[in-house]
Amino acid sequence: MFDSWETMQSLAVLVPALPLLGAVLTAILGPRILKSRAHWPVVLGLTGSAVAALCLLIGVNRQAAQGAFADDPASSRLTLWEWASVDPAMPAPAALRQASGTMAEAAAQVPFHIDITLRIDPLTALMLAMVTLVSTLVAIYSIGYMHGERGYWRYFSYVGLFVFSMTMLVSVSNFLLLYVFWYQKPAAAAAGKKAFLVNRVGDFGFALGVFLIWTTYGTLNFHDTKLPDGQAIPGVLGQTRLASLAASGADQEHDPDHSAPHDAAHAPARKPPAESLYVGGGWFGIGTAICLLLLVGACGKSAQFPLHVWLPDAMEGPTPVSALIHAATMVTAGIYLVVRCTPLFFASPEAQLVVSVIGGVTALMAAIIAVTQTDLKRVLAYSTVSQLGYMFLGLGTCTLIGATSGIFHLMTHAFFKALLFLGAGSVMHSLGGVIDMRRFSGLRHKMPVTCWTFLIGCLALAGVLPFAGFWSKDMILAAVHERAHEGGSFTLAGQSIFHWLYWIGTGTALLTAFYTFRAFFLAFFGPERFPGELDHPPHESPPNMTLPLAILAAFAAGLGVVCEWTGWFDKLLLKTPSLAFAAFHETAEVGFHPHIAAISTVTVLIGIGLAAFFYLGERTQIDRIAAWVRPLYRASYGKLWFDEIYDALIVKPLWILARLAYVVDRYLIDGIVNTIGRLPVWTGALLRPFQNGQIQSYALAMILGALILLGTLALRP
Amino acid sequence: MNEVALLRSLLAIGAILFATGVIGLLTRRNLIVMFLSAELSLQGIAVSLVAWSRYHNNFGGQMLVIFIIAVAACEAAIALALFVKLFHDRGTLDVVAWQTLREENLPPHIDIEVPEPEAREEKWPELTPAGREPAPNLQQQRHRARV
Repeated sequence: MFDSWETMQSLAVLVPALPLLGAVLTAILGPRILKSRAHWPVVLGLTGSAVAALCLLIGVNRQAAQGAFADDPASSRLTLWEWASVDPAMPAPAALRQASGTMAEAAAQVPFHIDITLRIDPLTALMLAMVTLVSTLVAIYSIGYMHGERGYWRYFSYVGLFVFSMTMLVSVSNFLLLYVFWYQKPAAAAAGKKAFLVNRVGDFGFALGVFLIWTTYGTLNFHDTKLPDGQAIPGVLGQTRLASLAASGADQEHDPDHSAPHDAAHAPARKPPAESLYVGGGWFGIGTAICLLLLVGACGKSAQFPLHVWLPDAMEGPTPVSALIHAATMVTAGIYLVVRCTPLFFASPEAQLVVSVIGGVTALMAAIIAVTQTDLKRVLAYSTVSQLGYMFLGLGTCTLIGATSGIFHLMTHAFFKALLFLGAGSVMHSLGGVIDMRRFSGLRHKMPVTCWTFLIGCLALAGVLPFAGFWSKDMILAAVHERAHEGGSFTLAGQSIFHWLYWIGTGTALLTAFYTFRAFFLAFFGPERFPGELDHPPHESPPNMTLPLAILAAFAAGLGVVCEWTGWFDKLLLKTPSLAFAAFHETAEVGFHPHIAAISTVTVLIGIGLAAFFYLGERTQIDRIAAWVRPLYRASYGKLWFDEIYDALIVKPLWILARLAYVVDRYLIDGIVNTIGRLPVWTGALLRPFQNGQIQSYALAMILGALILLGTLALRP
Repeated sequence: MNEVALLRSLLAIGAILFATGVIGLLTRRNLIVMFLSAELSLQGIAVSLVAWSRYHNNFGGQMLVIFIIAVAACEAAIALALFVKLFHDRGTLDVVAWQTLREENLPPHIDIEVPEPEAREEKWPELTPAGREPAPNLQQQRHRARV
């Protein structure tokens, strides 16, 4: 029904357009006319957008089933208008000439064309559906949460804009436009100076990566571009390059020398072969540099070590905004970028290793910090950082299952993290803004709906068997395990690293279960205690807040099972052109791993058991344990002193540099400028005595001047 | 007397006139005398112009002298008008009275103290009234009242 290309193209336009329209309407009409009804345009726009995205997903699913995406058809893209055009812009780089093969020497100039092109493929459709669905629920929830706040219309207007840029980010088919929407989002998102600065670091890396892509590949488009003169420029993720990668991968699979994958010590390292049109090349190659620069951008946006410090601090705004930032919009951009650029990363095994290591380190570190935080929202924020680390861990394996599991975890995480944040917001709402878990407990009787939906979110986050988080987390661990035990593209060193990463992942699962249920038990169990300044006992939130909670809880509970059993998700995602190349196939058939699932289930149950043992009933043991491991406790409570380390390593030296610059500017530069300014004054002071008011002296000076003139004339040879 | 000798004597006269004028300009303090000295040096130039004009048998120089005389006349008119105004303001023609136009923070230049004019009672000639007081001319008075 929705599978004709025309319908899908108009749907792809509607998805970003409706939130934008809603935001603009709210911004224009909100302050004067709509006032307390200011949410209507945005909520309706988002709902329409979500419906359009779901229809698009259905259509894409049908097309994918028919294999329509196999050769990246031109009709899966919609060019709206041309944004920038410089013709010709640059001599064609070597990688481009190699790719197009027949490109004549005379035409060896590449044009710089940036078209506003939306693409329709499974990855985009899935991201669109997730983003709009979660955003719609958050917006509906906000109607209750933000009721009566100042700047009500402004809030909804911003939500609409957020969703617009996020949907555009996942839809565009060009690195430059990706950067544009990448850059736009955080400006209003997290007003904190820290968030702004840290994100600039990431954006800077991303920008450099985009420049490097342009000079290396001679185009910024994902897709192959046909110029008006019939010449074709192969896109960075276009069919020409992908086909070359697939062909070279297939060659290698049939390579008779290729040993069994388990015999990794003797297997030749699976390097990207020379005839692939992607630039790779060792630790110091261009391909690695591109990937690492893009990774810096992804780390900044997705709050990965060492740029993770902004995310937990970006929670001063309203809780639904946190839910939106943490779950649906901002942080997922980094994951999306890495998945989209999988072929680039495939060409550089070194960069893959870096992605995985960063992901593993972040996952473990954030989980350790989350164990001791007392602020409910802060626990959730660090768990977001940790889960994003998980996703990077999966993506870094750069196998089929790795990429799938990253996106799968992204989806499930979006739902259960939005659920948890909105639950925390519901608690805050009823407790008058108190979120410190030391000040309240035993809320389960007062707020039953919040409590039980929150429990579902916790189960999903911890990864208990039937809930969504279990399946996606298991898939990531399976991918890492696979990578550790199969040859992969790395030699033995890389493999041992992946062994370690697997155990880090499992340990993180234990910690995740522990801190999640610690927060749950602290907030909802124990004696009923409420903050003193509350003038009425806490009550359950209104239905327009609990309804989104219930819907999200349903997704958090069921999404994993549905996707895993039907296998629909993997099959659809792998039809994405940039993920569908044949080099992946050697690890394609990875099913459910009973032993990995068993190990992770046991660790999760241990974690939950520990949390229950320490935090249910009398909470005396935990203080004793905390006293035993005092340094560890303090390290975790102090967030591993990242802020202090940054302060000492970056802020202080910069401060000293700024002081130095101030002194130099104040005394040296200003001194020079002022000296120049005083020169005329000094000259004037020298000449002033001649103006003594005596006409005779003026006359004398005049006559002497005339004599000097005459004298020089007379003495001139 | 040949032409060269005539030229020499004329140039000598011009030079003497010019030098006298310059010396007068530099040494005298009375505005009118200074002006006269400046005119004197101008005429010295005029004499040498005429001399050269005659020597070269070219009337351009003499034409120029006529212009100079015309310009000097205008100059004199303007200068005298200025002097009247200056005298009106300060009550003296000494240029030193105008050295207050110097730069602000310079000391005044005093070479020779100008002696204070001694306070002298102004005496106007008086005529002894004699004869009969003329009768008032009514017509004349009315006329004055109208004017």
